[in-house]
Amino acid sequence: MAIFNLKKRLIECKIVYYGPGRCGKTTNLEYIFAQYKKQVKGEMVSINTEGDRTLFFDFLPMGLGQIRGCDVRVQLYTVPGQVKYSSTRKLVLRGVDGVVFVADSLEVRREKNMASLKDLQANLKEYGKSIFKVPLVMQYNKRDLADQGIPLMPIKLMERDLNRQLKVPSFEGSAVTGKGVGITLKECLKSTLKALQKEFKWAQ
Amino acid sequence: MDIKQRLKSMLQEAEIYRSQGLISEAYGKYKAAADFVNSIENLKNKQSLLNAISDKISALDDTQKKVDKGPTSPELSKKAQDLIKNLFSFSENVDEDSAALEGAVALAKFGQFDRAINDLTELLPKEGIRVEAAKNILRCHLTTNSTEEAVNIYHQWHSEDLFQPNQLELVRVYLSDALQNKGLDIPLPSPVGADDSAAPKSEPSVQAAQESEEEFLDITSIGITFESGPRKGKMVEFDVNFQSGNMLSLIISKQEQEMVEDLKAGMEVKDIQFYSPIAIFNGAGVVASKTKIKSGPKQGDYCLDIRIKSS
Repeated sequence: MAIFNLKKRLIECKIVYYGPGRCGKTTNLEYIFAQYKKQVKGEMVSINTEGDRTLFFDFLPMGLGQIRGCDVRVQLYTVPGQVKYSSTRKLVLRGVDGVVFVADSLEVRREKNMASLKDLQANLKEYGKSIFKVPLVMQYNKRDLADQGIPLMPIKLMERDLNRQLKVPSFEGSAVTGKGVGITLKECLKSTLKALQKEFKWAQ
Repeated sequence: MDIKQRLKSMLQEAEIYRSQGLISEAYGKYKAAADFVNSIENLKNKQSLLNAISDKISALDDTQKKVDKGPTSPELSKKAQDLIKNLFSFSENVDEDSAALEGAVALAKFGQFDRAINDLTELLPKEGIRVEAAKNILRCHLTTNSTEEAVNIYHQWHSEDLFQPNQLELVRVYLSDALQNKGLDIPLPSPVGADDSAAPKSEPSVQAAQESEEEFLDITSIGITFESGPRKGKMVEFDVNFQSGNMLSLIISKQEQEMVEDLKAGMEVKDIQFYSPIAIFNGAGVVASKTKIKSGPKQGDYCLDIRIKSS
């Protein structure tokens, strides 16, 4: 849940990068940390285990400056994607304001994407949130691997698998090169702030 | 595509999966490449190719073992612990003490039990959250199998005058029930002067149910390490569909029948990882029953009841 401090004119919101294991959630945050220095307001914290797999979460604080008279701060998190860390994923999702779902474009990860989206839906439900109502943006990551001859799913198929019902904004991405990272975050911030504006009526 | 090109493409794909950390996908591709090589007669350097692929597969096996054995809750640096405390206390703007309690409980949820116990102990002087802090201290000890320490701490609190008798009675009942659920019958002295109404036993039906709920953490999923069958040594995670006290019900799809066959009613499962919003912990359980669902949308699936034996 976002914090809205009327006295200080401060809004702090939480955006979580969700998706199956090894889909590129941490790589998204690493790119943001490296490229958006002006907005980044501290160190990126990663708690990893064997093979650089996220164990608990990654955390990156950002400041967007003043928007309609309010100082807007954003906390970016990633969840651990591995199936066995389901309770940690749920913990990190608590109080979320917006979600970026990072899907893996590799053909061999098709089912994992769908399972992870289902997991997101179930975890949001436990916090009384509907996946249809929470600000959500999709990123179809690893598109660069097509250049190396690796079988990727066509965007049309990914849209059908993951976004047929949700109909949320979606972007092709390559977190290692940075392609699509910025626009994905911007779109998620836009819809999150729009939802918060509606809730808190802070910009009226 | 000629043979050389096809094999090169398969190996390149496998290597990319490996570099992405997709171990089982890389494994599958290397196996397919090995099968492909085997299927070609009179292939030059056939054996050396197979050896090279076999080496790659062995390396993947080693990586998988390291990943499987990776710690679920390593001790973090103080800085990381502070961050967890700060990020996962949600009552910051509501009540300072509640936020401090939430922060300490968050540490326990992330497996940072020593620091959690330390911080919870510092909260004991706070009247409004004393009982919750005390219960969470005991919970940390019980989760880390330090039952003796939990009992010792209760005795220490009993001998001091920090707790009001009614508060200590709530703590005593909590610990007593938790010990009983571990199959331990350890008498705990009641505080002198506790008001009867403070004791949950005075409200048998409702209160007992509340305590019973509290005794067991909500388990969201469990990881079972199989001791036999094709998945021997591997941990498989199952969602918990329903929980009543220490009884967990899982629905296992008919597609995974092979796995169900390795879990027979009455069988003891010695290595179970329990995932709950409070903590991740290891324990054991017994397969209480296994039923094939005969009607409805889950027809053909299996319902497995597992009784938590110890944790």
